[in-house]
Amino acid sequence: MSDWEEVKRLAADFQKVQLSSTSQKLSERNCVEIISWLIEKKILDLIFTSDGKEYLTPAQLVTDIQNELFVSGGRINLGELAKIIGVDYGQITAHLNEVLRSRKDIQNVLGQLIDSHYITRIAGEINEKLQQIGQINVGELTITYDLPADFLQQQVLEKHLGTLIFATQDKNDPKIFFTESFIARSKAKLKGCLSGIIRPTLVTTILVQTGISEKLFFTLFDQTSMYGTLSSRLPSAQYIPNSYSRSLNEWTLTFYKQNAYLEFDTLARIGISDYKSYIKKQFSNEDLLFLESSVASKTILERIEADIDECISSKSYVDLQNNLPSVFTAKDTSLILDKLLVGQKQQQTVVVEDFIISKAFIDGLVTMCSESVKEKAKQIVDSGKYQQYIIEVQGNQGKPQKFDDNDEKTDKREERRKKAAGGKSGGGTQGRETKTKSTKKHFRGGHKVDNDDDVIATETKKILAVVTGEEIKALIERFLEEEGLDTLVDPLTEHLLPNLNEQGFQIAAEIFKTKVADQNVNRRKTHNELQEKVNDLVSEVRLFSRGIKLFSGDVQVQLVKYLLKTVCSDIVTEILNYAAAETTSNIQSTDNFNNDQKMKFVNELPNEFKTPLQPLVKSLSGQSIDDFMNAVDQSLAACSMIIKKIDKKKDRTIVLNHKHKLLEELNTCDDVALVLHLATLIVFTSATQCMLHASGRHLASVLSFLKAHVSEGQISELMSYHDFVTLMLSNGSEAENAKEKLKEKMQFIKNIANEYKSTSGEKA
Amino acid sequence: MVDESTRKTLSSIPLLKTKAGPREKELWVERLKEEYQSLIKYVQNNKAADNDWFRLESNKEGTKWFGKCWFFHDQLKYEFDVEFDIAVTYPTTAPEIALPELDGKTAKMYRGGKICLSDHFKPLWARNVPKFGIGHAMALGLGPWLAVEIPDLIAKGVIHYKEKSEPSTS
Repeated sequence: MSDWEEVKRLAADFQKVQLSSTSQKLSERNCVEIISWLIEKKILDLIFTSDGKEYLTPAQLVTDIQNELFVSGGRINLGELAKIIGVDYGQITAHLNEVLRSRKDIQNVLGQLIDSHYITRIAGEINEKLQQIGQINVGELTITYDLPADFLQQQVLEKHLGTLIFATQDKNDPKIFFTESFIARSKAKLKGCLSGIIRPTLVTTILVQTGISEKLFFTLFDQTSMYGTLSSRLPSAQYIPNSYSRSLNEWTLTFYKQNAYLEFDTLARIGISDYKSYIKKQFSNEDLLFLESSVASKTILERIEADIDECISSKSYVDLQNNLPSVFTAKDTSLILDKLLVGQKQQQTVVVEDFIISKAFIDGLVTMCSESVKEKAKQIVDSGKYQQYIIEVQGNQGKPQKFDDNDEKTDKREERRKKAAGGKSGGGTQGRETKTKSTKKHFRGGHKVDNDDDVIATETKKILAVVTGEEIKALIERFLEEEGLDTLVDPLTEHLLPNLNEQGFQIAAEIFKTKVADQNVNRRKTHNELQEKVNDLVSEVRLFSRGIKLFSGDVQVQLVKYLLKTVCSDIVTEILNYAAAETTSNIQSTDNFNNDQKMKFVNELPNEFKTPLQPLVKSLSGQSIDDFMNAVDQSLAACSMIIKKIDKKKDRTIVLNHKHKLLEELNTCDDVALVLHLATLIVFTSATQCMLHASGRHLASVLSFLKAHVSEGQISELMSYHDFVTLMLSNGSEAENAKEKLKEKMQFIKNIANEYKSTSGEKA
Repeated sequence: MVDESTRKTLSSIPLLKTKAGPREKELWVERLKEEYQSLIKYVQNNKAADNDWFRLESNKEGTKWFGKCWFFHDQLKYEFDVEFDIAVTYPTTAPEIALPELDGKTAKMYRGGKICLSDHFKPLWARNVPKFGIGHAMALGLGPWLAVEIPDLIAKGVIHYKEKSEPSTS
């Protein structure tokens, strides 16, 4: 039954459910319809939410905006606001004014709503930050807070400056704020830094070291500038501490005071780049001499001047290297010297490298060397170098040149012809030839001009080393070493060499002059001697030829030939020697010349000798003594020799002398062949009163001629002796035998000659 | 098939479990309880949706059911008596709902005012035995029938708005 009860209860429930009033619900559609109708009728003012399912009253929107602003901490984006409230962005902006009107502390900043609480809060934050960092830039704040700089500047910072933010605004840059403590700290830091710096430093380096901003640095610098100066107002400027510039000035001043000079390099090294103006500024009242590498004071100049004066007066030298500061370069030294060595001083001194040497000192050296120079000069003259040199010099302006000129002319003509014919393709060798010729010509021409001048002047230019550098060096070296000037040996030698050479040359010239004078005397003597000699020879020849004439035919010819070959040759040789000496040819002696060589030599002689001598030499190979004699006459005339007139008396004495000479010779002679020869000649001379010049070969014919003048016995003796001699000379088997015989007979032959003399003498 | 809103309504009606007719004493009680629970839920749903459209009550045994149903048309409420019996073959066969007032006024009605249900109703019911109950029959049978037939009948002038109808059934 319980089930039924339950059914009953359920039925009752069912009824109750059915009878319970139905909720009177408006359908959504109806609602929308009603509301839109109401809005249409302007009875209601509602705002649709963005999804269109909800409505808001404007007042609700305003409060919602305010609430959301509060919730989000005083700052909210309008876009975000629209999303949160669920209203169209346009509605928000439309009702924004209402919000702003109702709440004065709310501002719309770039699509964001910000109320005063927020501003206060960030002001507090900024202040905190400021206290921490000490300095703050609006630019940085805009990044951290994502707010426009103007807003931050005006609404946050400047508004709360002094109330919430305890800082100072930078006067130079209103965007920068800093606390007093920060300023004080920075200033202290900078002060410390600046006072600590003792050498010029770049501002950027200081900034990096101190961590101070560039702008702050320059503001603060003005307040702390008592420690130094800035080269400019740029970050690249240099900070020059006062202490540094002071010490710099002190240093330069003391250095200058002590050393009387300042080196530019040093100044540059210690940081004075514009040293010239610096020096001018610093030492404006000093009298300075600007050199290449440094500046020198008047005192240095005075000192050097005094040194030079002293050097001149003491006849010694000054070592500038030691007297000038070591930093002075060679150019500096020369500048100083240019300034000091003027007028008389310049004449009294010689500058060698870094030394100023007084003329007197040099003169001393010169005298020291002069002895040796004299010796050398003498040597040179004696050795003939000088003459050779002079000849060379003169040779360039003498006759040979004329010949050369002629040659050149022909050459030129030739050349021109060649050029016309061959043009440039004249061949390498020819081209070179012409070239060398032209240079030669040039060279010679140049000398020609020189040689017109004073001889000695040209000679100094020429390289005739009377004394060599080494010799001078050796001479002065010891003296200079004693003086402590060994470094100057070379330059001084160089300096002295031309002088000494000139001197030596003059000495040489003098010596040569005296020598030439002597020589002229000698030559005159030799000339006379030669004349004498030639005369003697000529007369001998004449006498010999007379003797020859006694012979007939074949024998005569042979004898003439022999005579020409011997005595006449001697004469020619003498004459040629003279000619050689006169023309100063290279050939010193023609003694051993054969006829051809003689001819060749004669052809090389100058014309004045060539023409008379040519026939002379030719006549030697002729067959006539008369021809020769004529030639000799002419030649001697050319050689300015006089042939003495023929003197009969003298002839006699000559013949006698000749005979005596022969006799003496005979008596002292041991040679068996020669004995015969001499004896024969003596006999001939005695018999004919004529001299004979014959060789052993002619003896046979001479003996046959003598038959008429000598006794039978004598002639047979002589003939047999002659036979033995020929036998001996033939070197046959009986040679030894013949020699023995000859020795036996020798005395006999000698006797014949002596006796014949006496007999002939009696006869005469 | 039934339309979307009907399906939705149907799904919100709790299903039944016990398969028992009025003759099976014990089980019928059980069934009757489930029927009531189902109906209560359905009415509650309707009321919640502002869609209350009928009143029903039964005899003590729950075999005879009667009540009213109504339909709004042109802002006028047309009200009709409704009655039906639970056959012994129930729940295998669906209850035959009848509107006696309209007997003979429309072709879609059997004798005695029993409404002609759609072709779909019966196979649908048959498939859902024993899960469907009286609530389902109302929602699937009478509801759609009223929605189709009443405006038609009004238009034909077969039924008229009764000004003096009782404001409420009880």
